[in-house]
Amino acid sequence: MSGSFYSNSTFVAIVILAIVLLLIAALMVYVLRHITSILKDKSGAEVEPGFFERNIKPKMDSWNPTIVTLLVIGLLVVVGAGYGSAYMATEIGVQQGYSPDQPINFPHTKHAGAMGIDCQYCHTTAGKSKHASIPSANTCMNCHKGAQLRDNYGGKVSPELMKLYESVGFDPETSTYDPDAETYPLKWVRIHNLPDLAYFNHSQHVTVGNVECQTCHGPIEEMEKVEQFSTLQMGWCVNCHRQRGIDVKNNKYYEDVHKEMKANKEHYVTVAQNGGLECSKCHY
Amino acid sequence: MSNSENKYWRGIEELEANPATLENISNEFSDKLPMEEILGDTEELSSNRRDFLKFFGFSVSAVALAACNKTPVKYAMPYINKPEEVTPGHALYYATTCGVYNEGFPVMAKVREGRPIKLDGNPESPLSQGAVNAAGQASILSLYDTNRIPHPIVDGSEVEDWAEVDKKVDGILKGASGDVYIVSRTVTSPVLQASIQKFMDTHNAKHVIYDPISYSGIRGANKESFGADVIPSYNFDKADVIVSFGADFLGTWISPTRFTADYSKNRVPTPENPDMSKHYQIESLLSLTGTNADYRYSIPASKQGKYLVSLYNMLSGAGGDLELPGNALKQIASELLAAKGKALVVSGSNDKSEQVIVNAINDLLGSYGSTINFSASMNISHFDEAAFDSFVNNAGKAGAIVLLDANPVYSYHNGAKLAEAMKNVPVITTAMVVDESSNGAVVHAPNNHTLESWDVYQPMNGHYVTSQPVISKVFNTRSAAESLRTWAGEKVAMGEDQASHQWVADYLTNDLGADANKAFHDGFVEKSTERVSSSFAGSISAASSSIASSYTESAGFDLALYQKVGVLDGSSALNPWCHELPDPVTKVTYDNYVSISRHDAETNGWEQGDIVKVSGNGAEIDALPLLIQPGQARGVVGIALGYGRSVQTNADNDLVDLGKNAYTFVQSSSSGTSYLAQNVTIEKVDSGYEFAQTQTHHMIEGRDYLREATIDEYKKDNAVRNEHKFETVSLWSDYDYSKGHHWAMAIDMNACTGCGSCVVSCHIENNVPVVGRKEVRRRRDMHWLRIDRYYSFQTDADETASVRVGPSNVDQEFKKGEWSTMENELAGLDKNSASGDEDYGHYDNVKVVHQPVMCQHCDHAPCETVCPVLATTHSSEGLNQMTYNRCIGTKYCGNNCPYKVRRFNWFRYNKNSKFDYHFNNELGRMVLNPDVTVRSRGVMEKCSFCVQNIQMAKLNAKIENRKLEDGDAQTACAKACPSNAIVFGDRNDPNSRIAKMYKNDRSYKMLEEVGTDPSVLYLTKIRNRKEEVQHS
Repeated sequence: MSGSFYSNSTFVAIVILAIVLLLIAALMVYVLRHITSILKDKSGAEVEPGFFERNIKPKMDSWNPTIVTLLVIGLLVVVGAGYGSAYMATEIGVQQGYSPDQPINFPHTKHAGAMGIDCQYCHTTAGKSKHASIPSANTCMNCHKGAQLRDNYGGKVSPELMKLYESVGFDPETSTYDPDAETYPLKWVRIHNLPDLAYFNHSQHVTVGNVECQTCHGPIEEMEKVEQFSTLQMGWCVNCHRQRGIDVKNNKYYEDVHKEMKANKEHYVTVAQNGGLECSKCHY
Repeated sequence: MSNSENKYWRGIEELEANPATLENISNEFSDKLPMEEILGDTEELSSNRRDFLKFFGFSVSAVALAACNKTPVKYAMPYINKPEEVTPGHALYYATTCGVYNEGFPVMAKVREGRPIKLDGNPESPLSQGAVNAAGQASILSLYDTNRIPHPIVDGSEVEDWAEVDKKVDGILKGASGDVYIVSRTVTSPVLQASIQKFMDTHNAKHVIYDPISYSGIRGANKESFGADVIPSYNFDKADVIVSFGADFLGTWISPTRFTADYSKNRVPTPENPDMSKHYQIESLLSLTGTNADYRYSIPASKQGKYLVSLYNMLSGAGGDLELPGNALKQIASELLAAKGKALVVSGSNDKSEQVIVNAINDLLGSYGSTINFSASMNISHFDEAAFDSFVNNAGKAGAIVLLDANPVYSYHNGAKLAEAMKNVPVITTAMVVDESSNGAVVHAPNNHTLESWDVYQPMNGHYVTSQPVISKVFNTRSAAESLRTWAGEKVAMGEDQASHQWVADYLTNDLGADANKAFHDGFVEKSTERVSSSFAGSISAASSSIASSYTESAGFDLALYQKVGVLDGSSALNPWCHELPDPVTKVTYDNYVSISRHDAETNGWEQGDIVKVSGNGAEIDALPLLIQPGQARGVVGIALGYGRSVQTNADNDLVDLGKNAYTFVQSSSSGTSYLAQNVTIEKVDSGYEFAQTQTHHMIEGRDYLREATIDEYKKDNAVRNEHKFETVSLWSDYDYSKGHHWAMAIDMNACTGCGSCVVSCHIENNVPVVGRKEVRRRRDMHWLRIDRYYSFQTDADETASVRVGPSNVDQEFKKGEWSTMENELAGLDKNSASGDEDYGHYDNVKVVHQPVMCQHCDHAPCETVCPVLATTHSSEGLNQMTYNRCIGTKYCGNNCPYKVRRFNWFRYNKNSKFDYHFNNELGRMVLNPDVTVRSRGVMEKCSFCVQNIQMAKLNAKIENRKLEDGDAQTACAKACPSNAIVFGDRNDPNSRIAKMYKNDRSYKMLEEVGTDPSVLYLTKIRNRKEEVQHS
């Protein structure tokens, strides 16, 4: 029952409709007046100058065309700039396309693309927790203890991979860990940042909602260097919540919702219909 | 509109219609903008167009520049080796202990990404029964205390390497010319005890126990009466008649969390079992326990023993010489005898003779084996005053003193003498902070925090509580047990407390025969205990003559020293949550004060806020403000212990130099430590102190918020006081909440004791800022959940006319019922002052109700309709949602809320050095709940029904492919409540506890007649009193 607003598109449609109706009304008035004046003209009666001819036309004749032109342009600029800055204000902090350099040039094209490794093999907690989490170094080492990528580097370990080995204290020559080595975590740059005021939970979307990773993160398997695919704006969240349905059939949690739907002979319920647009679903 | 004739008031200022208070009531956010403060002297202030342009230009460019700020780069650092059980974003719960009250209180620690962020009770242990009291909840912050010593200190300089510490200690011990002493608090850990023993054996050292609060009276009496030097377990759930002589067993006495849980089990009448226990409290100060009593009598503290002797004589058939007004003592005696085997008499006194009489009474009543249990005795204190006194006398000649978390210089009554003696002795300390005792120590070998340690405790005989670390060490510390064994020459494996773990596991396996892993998982091990026989062999005549001789008629005041629920014996003195928590009775935060009865204040011409000097018994406190406390006995003043700490601190906040140390008034004699000083003089030195007192904050103006009835009325009609159902007309089309969840809460006013555990729990769970004393004075406390404490005068003419010392024409005034405004109504109550009678007898005893109030999540919420930006809206699950990022801070919602539960965020408490509490340092921020937004200034905030927990519970159910069960979603307050007074759940689930509460005849909605349709139910308070509350 969170306030049922007009959606954006409805609002725009109403405005356009109103403008069109007004134009039609103005046109009709004009036509009517024109016909009456023609009729009067035909009947030989002296045509009385209209309101426009009497009051505005004489003044308009004395206007300086330069000033008028400048005024009109100025008005357009003000309106345009206002609209532009309002638009830009909503874009502040939007980092769509953000693609920073990472400590290791990790190619998703190879891992997710060419080799087709499941996303959740590395991002293990995406289905379990609010964070998808960046894999810990020991996950990388599951494969890279063996896969040392020497082919393209003349028998030497890939310099990018070397950064991983150094961080965990692994010696690729002997394939052993040095117990005395100083280990340190890799400092990855976070690409997808939500403000503190928004609560987002990966497992809700991945496990419960069956949303593909690519829906929000884009074609990660084709990204040599990961970039932010979506805007991560609230409108973007809300749109999806308005469109996507809930899989009520296969989750006992939604048993009551499912029964209700069957009773009403509905077959589709969106996240929004189930309260997915209410403020405290994401803001607390 | 009121449906009962009880007139409630929160403070004398309200009763007397103090104009300032009345103005505050109607203006919730009345503070003017502090323009003068900002602009300086307004006389010279003149602004003109140029100034305006300057400021305007500056602000525009400042905003423009600020907007140019680049989005900061954020990093994500994964584990190198992710621990298997850790899932980032998921909370883990570990059974461990917290160190408040009895060492080893069983708790469940909620841990996020390796940081404990919340303590809840261990539901399976009888000691906690799923709850922790306020101080226990708050104790988690001591882990993240910036005052902790980060490294060991040797000779005043910090060292990294513990080998240096050990070398130095070795040198000290080898060169010790006199006896080596270990001074510790009562040790309940067998592992630590073994380490102490080892140290003693090696260095021929002596172990002295020091506890700031002594229970030697009870132990001594039990030794004399039954040959058992123990503190027994008291079973308040098994008692039908409870008589407490000054024992604050719901607040601070022995094991309050457990007692509260037990006590409330027998305090809730149901249609099936409409009986409840009857609780008499006879005391001098109005304690938390006293506020919950059915009948309460105020007596001078020094006469308590004599009343006990009288009661004993009445019980044994001899007739006592002292009587309470209205022959109440006789009545108590007859009821106790009638409830033989189901009666319990306790006394809060530490006087052995008094406790002998208590034992004799309980023996007469057959309490032993039923309401008092010797076999499950409490190990909270083995303090032996005589031994400690002799230590103090010899301390100057000691070769070395090892302080094991004991702080006698602060809390010993002659701490100055001890400090003087210790000056010439090398002191080795394991204290976590540089406190009064460890100030001049040569070696600081800081101990781990309880939440960083492996340990096992035996707080109760047969009940072993395990402790496991829930965080890797915050600082370079070492467990005291490891330190002691190292110093005893044992080779101890260094590092992550492997040694401690081994010792604890060994003890669990070998000594207790338990599975160590299971014990750590469960958090405790139970062992059957031997039954201790108890045949009374004490000397009643000796005890009563000792009581008679210790009492002297004196012109001065009795000074009763007591502990506060938050600050306790002073161990929580550095914890801002404990100070921000309003005292359950006085509703004072932060301040330390002298409480006094209205009568005494008026006869001496003193006013609330006068600064007084208290002196007597060779001790003196030069200046403390005076607080007039209704219900306090005449001739008695009370001062809380635990203030006046001087701990080395780097914080600049209200906790520094707070109050005065009242331990100096503690009397030590051959019969033990006494927390009562007689013949004390009070002298006014100044006036005009303003308390940071919340009692008249957020007032609900004279409306019908409370309903109470007597047990007889309840038995006749389960719906008593709730007969009238209001018919409300709604302006809105009704929303159908019958689908999905509909969250609701019920608060049983019979179970609620007002202990404040929920307040602190909410404070921690929801990242509520600490605002400090100055802001509380301006009525800007931020607690989302407050407990309103209401007083009412006794209205039953037949019983209280004689109880009351003064004249009683209040009832007559009541019956007229002609007042139209609240001020007149309440002024009428205060008849004595109006008629010029200066006796104030009706203030000697008052009835009290505690009512927790949080956002009522009204289904027709008045706040929602007035918000201009739709920042507060309603959810389909019945929640009143607050969206901070939308809020522009008009405060309309707060003004339109009849329950006054909305709090305005005045400052950026997390980035403002004026609020130097845990929000403002890296370490303290570790306790923040990562699932809840830290609000910025300029927004409204309020109770969300812990929506983060609701959402998490729903998500877990979805992931586990099941329906949501009752109890999955819990609010922090419901979880923390020791008496299970708060029930939260989905009222659409017919099997839920909350759905049943809706069917309970006692349930009503606060301000139902306003038509807000709240989602919080209150259950009528039923008092086990005889009189009918008069109806209009």
